[in-house]
Amino acid sequence: MGGPVPTEAWIVLSAALFVIGAVGVLRRRSAILIFLSVELMLNAGNLALVAFARQWADAGVITAMSGQTVVFIVLAVAAAEVAVGLGILVAIFRQRQSTDVDALSEVRL
Amino acid sequence: MVVFAILAAMMVLGAIGVVTLRRPVRAALALVFTLVTLAIAFLQLHAPFLAATQVIVYAGAIMVLFLFVIMLLNVDGDPIREGDRLRWLGPFAWLIALVGLGGLVVTVLADVRPLPGPDAIAAVFAEGGAGGIGDVLYGRYLLAFQLVGVLLLTGIVAAVGLVQRKPTVAPDEQLRSGMPRRTPGAPPPADLPGGRARGESA
Repeated sequence: MGGPVPTEAWIVLSAALFVIGAVGVLRRRSAILIFLSVELMLNAGNLALVAFARQWADAGVITAMSGQTVVFIVLAVAAAEVAVGLGILVAIFRQRQSTDVDALSEVRL
Repeated sequence: MVVFAILAAMMVLGAIGVVTLRRPVRAALALVFTLVTLAIAFLQLHAPFLAATQVIVYAGAIMVLFLFVIMLLNVDGDPIREGDRLRWLGPFAWLIALVGLGGLVVTVLADVRPLPGPDAIAAVFAEGGAGGIGDVLYGRYLLAFQLVGVLLLTGIVAAVGLVQRKPTVAPDEQLRSGMPRRTPGAPPPADLPGGRARGESA
């Protein structure tokens, strides 16, 4: 059972993680837990990018490394997103003592 | 392949934990578990630098921030309430997920391509990742890198601005609102180091 794992297997795993994260976004009612699921989906995307980076090894160093570089940028964007998102959560919690997204129904159109 | 199977099982278990565990702290720790297994997966995929970054930035910094906020707000997870308007969404979500996952798996497996040879992979990822990523990041993606810097700075300013309490009232009033709440009849607490310090600085 040696040899490298094919890219398709990694992509299927990444899809599974992404789908589980999407279920979390739909099922959870607490904003923090929705946020955690979004992080899971981001990481599923990262896994796919890294797997594709290896698949493109034939196309040269720059092309192959681009996939990993994008993962690096996604990491930084995720950090900024978490900082702002959790700031918004804390601000909402101060006003209404709850992070339940159902209780925020007046925000909708 | 054996390593992959073990990793995949642990990752999916952790992900299901993130989605189903009731307590937010446990869900966050399940996500930490998933992220660490993901870092091991990055090692398998010739990305050691990203594996290290994943552990340090994600499992370290970001998840600590999450746990900090969860414990600060002391939120209880998803309360099961009667009359939840979105109750039907739960099973429906799993259904959509299964259909979507099936479609994705079929699509992926319908077009299987061979991996490049091990020599080519070894040649491209020989430097351990950090050097290659640095070359591309400061070359082709220099603009994106700078924009990320701007984004992070904006994020810091936004987070501070969102969480900050506005000093709209007089310092005297601010001192009073900073004190712990007490009933009107009760005598004031004797020791108020925090409140006094805040008043002096104001």
